[in-house]
Amino acid sequence: MADDEFRQQALQHLDALYNLAVYLTRNGSEAEDLVQETYARALRFSHRFQPGTYMRAWMFQILRNTFLTFYRLREREPAISEAGVPDGEAPMFHHAPAEDGESKGAHMDLERALRRLSEEFRTPLLLAEVEGLSLEEVARIMDCPVGTVKSRIFRAKERLRGLLKDYGGPGRI
Amino acid sequence: MTNDIDDHGGEPDEIAQFLRERVARHQAPTRLRAAVVETLSPSEGRRRPSLWLPPALSALATAMVMLLWLAPVLPRSGGDPLQLLSHAVMTEHARAVLWGEARPDAMPGALPHVMEESGVLLNWVFTGDQDLRLVNAQPTFLEGRRALALTYQDRDGHSVSYIVARGPNVAIPELGRVQIAKWRPLVTKDDGFALIVWKQSGLVCVMVSDLVSEDDLGRFKEYFVKVRSATELSQRY
Repeated sequence: MADDEFRQQALQHLDALYNLAVYLTRNGSEAEDLVQETYARALRFSHRFQPGTYMRAWMFQILRNTFLTFYRLREREPAISEAGVPDGEAPMFHHAPAEDGESKGAHMDLERALRRLSEEFRTPLLLAEVEGLSLEEVARIMDCPVGTVKSRIFRAKERLRGLLKDYGGPGRI
Repeated sequence: MTNDIDDHGGEPDEIAQFLRERVARHQAPTRLRAAVVETLSPSEGRRRPSLWLPPALSALATAMVMLLWLAPVLPRSGGDPLQLLSHAVMTEHARAVLWGEARPDAMPGALPHVMEESGVLLNWVFTGDQDLRLVNAQPTFLEGRRALALTYQDRDGHSVSYIVARGPNVAIPELGRVQIAKWRPLVTKDDGFALIVWKQSGLVCVMVSDLVSEDDLGRFKEYFVKVRSATELSQRY
């Protein structure tokens, strides 16, 4: 694939990559750094990309691997913002459009619930249900069999269902 | 494409629907898009602002002095914004060491003025302790970016410059990053200087000093922890 074509295609996935990066890092600045690193690595390893395969999945795979390699250490620490202060209740949805109180409450609940899912459950859930990737693509990104992806998504939904009920009662969903 | 996995024996997948409707989509900020375009097109990158008038004469004077004095050693290579910035930081550090005036008594009182001129806001800043003293603060201009330069001196007389530059389109590579306390900045040596580079609040931060030996580098990392843990930045201006 020509460099220009590669670059153009890669750039088309910027918003989707940034979106996942925000959910992974829970921090806008770190999400930006993560995405920049993802593109830097994608460019460096562009010769490994096989034309005809899905670039979106390939880019997501690089992003996730970069996150796991370089950012995940921090996940084991208490959530700390880049300013060094706890960011436990910092809203992840601050860029969301204006909404009424009920919707905002639902967003906050969803945000809290998603945070409580571990990365290996949260990522396939978001990739499949929010980004609309196929299970095969998610499996490639997660580097595991499709059956495992199905199982993780199923368990993530069950966990999410339980958490949302805890927050808002059965009527919340 | 959806993946409504039937997880309730035929029930509609309400969680999937809820996620699709409720999960907020975060659009990449414009500055990130610009940075990625630059990353993807290094030869076409590094477009500088077409016009920026320094808000104060001191910033302009600093930049002019740097240009005049450092012209012979300005980097010749194009393309890598981080490398160019690092070289600019080293020359700024050299300027501070050679010509900078230690004004510890003026610190931290001079900081508000410096922050305003540099466009970098320090909500909190490390103003020194028994090991490291803040001796100067200057607005400056590095590689087309407004910046703030703080100079510290340790007990042995080593100068440490801490420079914060506006410029989110500088990507910090993963190669060379090391874990220091709970952070993982890039640590590098160049031309007899040691540099620690990281990003904070969308700003590029660099600490530079001549503490390059193994022992000295350990001390330099301790200084980094002091500065990093006690400094909170924003781009308010």
